[in-house]
Formats: sequence, C-alpha cells, structure tokens
Amino acid sequence: MSDATGLVLVVEDEPQMRRFLRASLGAEGYRVREAWTVADGLREVAAEHPDAVLLDLGLPDGDGLELVRRVREWSQVPVIVVSARGREEEKVAALDAGADDYLAKPFGTKELLARLRVALRHARAGTGPTDPVIQAGPLRLDLERREASVDGRAVRLTPIEWRLLALLARHAGKVLTHAQILREVWGPNAASQTHYVRVFMAELRRKIEADPSRPRLLLTEPGVGYRLADAPAPDPAPGGDGAR
Amino acid sequence: MRWRPVPAWLGYVGAAALVVGTTAVGAATRTVLDVPDVEMLYVLAVLVAAVFLGRGPAVAAAAVGVLAYDYLFVPPVYTLNVADGRYLFTFAMMFGIGLLVSSLAERAQAAAVRAESETLRGTLLSSVSHDLRTPLAAITGAATTLRDQAVDEETRRELVGAICDEAERMERMVGNLLDMTRLTSGTVAPRREWIPVEEVAGAALARTERLLARHRVRTEIPSGAAMIRADPVLLEQLLVNLLENAARHTPPGTEVVLRAEAGPSGLALEVADRGPGVPAGEEERVFERFHRGGRSDGGGAGLGLAIARAVAEVHGGTLHVEPNEGGGARFRLHLPASGASPAVPREPEAPGPGGPGREGA
Repeated sequence: MSDATGLVLVVEDEPQMRRFLRASLGAEGYRVREAWTVADGLREVAAEHPDAVLLDLGLPDGDGLELVRRVREWSQVPVIVVSARGREEEKVAALDAGADDYLAKPFGTKELLARLRVALRHARAGTGPTDPVIQAGPLRLDLERREASVDGRAVRLTPIEWRLLALLARHAGKVLTHAQILREVWGPNAASQTHYVRVFMAELRRKIEADPSRPRLLLTEPGVGYRLADAPAPDPAPGGDGAR
Repeated sequence: MRWRPVPAWLGYVGAAALVVGTTAVGAATRTVLDVPDVEMLYVLAVLVAAVFLGRGPAVAAAAVGVLAYDYLFVPPVYTLNVADGRYLFTFAMMFGIGLLVSSLAERAQAAAVRAESETLRGTLLSSVSHDLRTPLAAITGAATTLRDQAVDEETRRELVGAICDEAERMERMVGNLLDMTRLTSGTVAPRREWIPVEEVAGAALARTERLLARHRVRTEIPSGAAMIRADPVLLEQLLVNLLENAARHTPPGTEVVLRAEAGPSGLALEVADRGPGVPAGEEERVFERFHRGGRSDGGGAGLGLAIARAVAEVHGGTLHVEPNEGGGARFRLHLPASGASPAVPREPEAPGPGGPGREGA
C-alpha cells in the first residue's frame, strides 16, 4: 500500500481491541500510537499530529463524542468512530459533530483498512487542488462540465439530483448523515426533512443503478445515512463487510 | 395461573354488583333461611370479592354488605340499629375475612408471576448459554490448534475460516438477544420516518447478500416510490431476519423472492421460499422465542422470527406464515396504512446541468 505510511492514533480502552488494531494496522505499514482516555487522546492529537484517529465512543473518562468536538475546534484530522450496532443515534451524533466515518463493532480488518484509506485519501485531497473528475466504479462525474455517466452512458439529472450525487461523489466511500445531506443540498432549514433525501435518493437510484432495489453504488446505512460505494463490487460477490 | 389486573373502578363496580346480587338472593330465600344464615351469603360475597377483585373492593363489599344486611335483615328491620350485640361480631368477622383473604390472594398472585418469570429466565439463560457455547467451543478449538500445533497451509486456512464464521454467528446471536430484550422490555419506541419500501428492501438484501449468495434471490417491488412510515432500522432488521430464516431453512440453489405490494389498507411485504415449508400446526410456534425448526445449526438462538413478529407488532402490523403456492413457505408482513405520504418539493422543470432537462423515462 503506497499510502499506508501514516500515523494512526487509536483511542480505545479495551486492551484486546488495541492489540488487534495494533497488529492489523502495523501489518499494513501504519505507525500506531495508543491512548486509553479522552484526555490522553486529546493530548496525543495535539502532540503527535496523527494522520488519522480511530476513536471508540465508549471511554472510561467521558464520551468519545466530546473528543470529536474538542479536536474539531482546531484540527481537521480524519476521525473514524467505533461503536456497536444498534447505537445509530450515537454514530449520527458523532458524524454530525465532525467525525469522518464510523465502524460498527465487530468489524473485520478489510472494513477497517478500507475506511481508513478513504479517510486518509480525502484528508490529503483536501489540501491540494481537487480533481474535477470523480470516478467511482462505473460512475463518472465531471464536476466542471456538470456531466454524469454510468459505464460511459450519459445520465441526465435534475438540479437537486445533481447536487445530491455530486455531494456523495466528493465524499466517495464516506458516510454522510441525512442531516449533512439536507444541509448541503436543501439548505439549513430542511435539516429535519429526511424524507426529501430518501425520495430523491430513490429517484437517483432509478437513474444510475442497474437494479434500484439492490443498489451497488448508492448504499444505505440504515438509521445513519448514505454512502457512495468507493469501489463497488460488480456482482453479488462478497462485499466489503467482514462481519456485517 | 395468570391474572389479568382488573381496573380499580371495575373492581368496585363488581363489589357493588356482588352485594346487590347477594341481597336479592337473601330477600328471595328469606322465607326459607333464618336471619343468621343470610349472613353466610354476605360472607361468600366478600370472599369472592377478596379473591377475584382485590383488597379495596373486598373491604367495600364488606362495608356495603354489613349495611345492607343490617338494614334489611337484622332486627329491627329497616333501621341501622342492632338489637343483639352478636351481630357486631358478625360485622367485624366480615371485614376480617375480606382483608385476610384478599391479602392471601395477592400473595399467591405475586408468587405465580414470580414463578413464571423465573421459569422464563431459566429457559432463556440455559438456551443462551448453550447456544453461545457451541460457537465458542469451535473458536477455542480452532485457535488453540493454531497456537499449539504445526498445521499445513490448507488446515490453517480452514481453521481461520471456522473462527471467522463462528465469531460471526455469535455476533448474530448477541445481536438478536439485544434486539429481543429491547423490544420486549417496552423501552424502544419505534422512530417512525417515511421511507421508500425499495430502500429498506435494498438495505436488508445487502446485509444478507453473503448468507444468500448460493440462493437465487429475486425482488418484486413495484417501481415508483411506495413509502411506508416505519422505523428504518427495525424494519430492516425484520426483513433481514426473514431472509436469514429463508437462507437457513431452504437448500442452496432454490429461489427466494422478496415482494412488496402497496394497497389502500397498507403495505404487504413477503419473503417467499421454495424450501420444505412450515409443517401444518407449526405456523404459530415458529414465532415463539427459542423455537427452532428442528435444526440448530448456524441459528440465531431461535429468536429471529420472534423478533420479526415483535417488530411487526410495535408498528401495529401483523406477521404470519402460510404455504407458498407451488411449495415452500411464505412469510407475510402487513403494515397498516399510515396516512398520505409527505409532500416533497417538486423541482421546477428547468434545464438540468449540462443538459436540456429531465430524462424522459
């Protein structure tokens, strides 16, 4: 992995989880620093300037959410939060507070590395000039010329559909919450109208998915939001999920 | 024994009715029975109230009974005066019996409820520990083999695969247990939102893709945004459980159909398979907790369908299984209509970016 050279800060109080993360991240070429608590985590972010933070939301001295908020006051370091399935509100709160992505416990190495790669790529792209052409699997978006195509076939989109798709494409591989999408596409007054997003997403799927009821590109994260697949599987082969 | 708690006011109405009835019987049998015998009828009324209606109504029945008995039967009749001191003792006895019997009945009820929940907890614990220990044994075995023995590459791959699969199975079970606990404790209120049926179906199919990789999965979902007002996470879980159930109980290569039909009375969602079907007489039992269709491999502690039904019920819907025409089982969820879909601002038919407008189709 050419980009697997960064420093990852792991904020996690479970020793077994730290052991697993140290081993799998180390094997991939990342350097790893560890913190047990919110206070340590904040200190490490300030002192070590990690390239990414992997943050467990349940920490002994406070809420991981607090760490996200504090870090976001002065740093744009990518933060991936880790929390259990069934705690969707917690994930949404962390994402809306500025976390970049999440992993649902338990997760497999493949999923972890994929999320981390996406987060690092976006962080690096954020500092340089942005590429006006985004390619995500069969989907190609030319932001400058405002053109979308799937497998070379041009797709016509309404203004809102375009804004929606362009937003997801700019964050390809990253989850976006309903609130984030509503704010960006419909403006701050629409933040609670989640059905807008759902209806337009259904419309968009009908235009760009081969089978809208089994999407390969515009993925639903139930209770959280949507994600444009980073490197979608072309057929029902094992997906990116280790243990869902 | 299972007692339904009677609403308080109904208890008192019942007590009043008992006294009125007793008085009527007492009046009718007056010519046959002596006055002291009539008091036994009132004691019976108080006993009945104490056992079936609770302490308050029992005391009320005793009080009203004493007044009625005194006024109508005890000489001098039609006054509340008591000629013979013996009757005062009778009145005290009626109150005493009411209090004593009602508190005994309460204690017996509490014991019955406790015994029932103990049995349930016992069943749950033994079932869960057994179900969790099975994958755990496989994981321990595989992991210690890898640690302590030299194995060839193929064996290593096999053992590591077993560890991953069994860990996943444990995760499913724990997930199911948590869902069941949350649903039955009454602490989760569904967070209802308007969602396109297609989206929930898609999310559920994505999550069960690996499990159903060797089945032929087909969807019959009418295009057009049929919306349903439901909790997206719970409804997805319901469909995942039905699909997992199909994956587990039908042979690879057979067809599984996920079908949606929207009608005026609501939305029907079906998962139909071509497996052996549900045996006649088992149609309700498959939804019971810890019921397993005769197999215990790869299961989720026999909770999947119980959770699915619980989710249907918190949405005011129903979930049943029926034979699929042509063989197999068909799980059918019905969710009642919940009003008109919300309005979504239409876009002006202005030219879209980079093109002269909206695509026709």
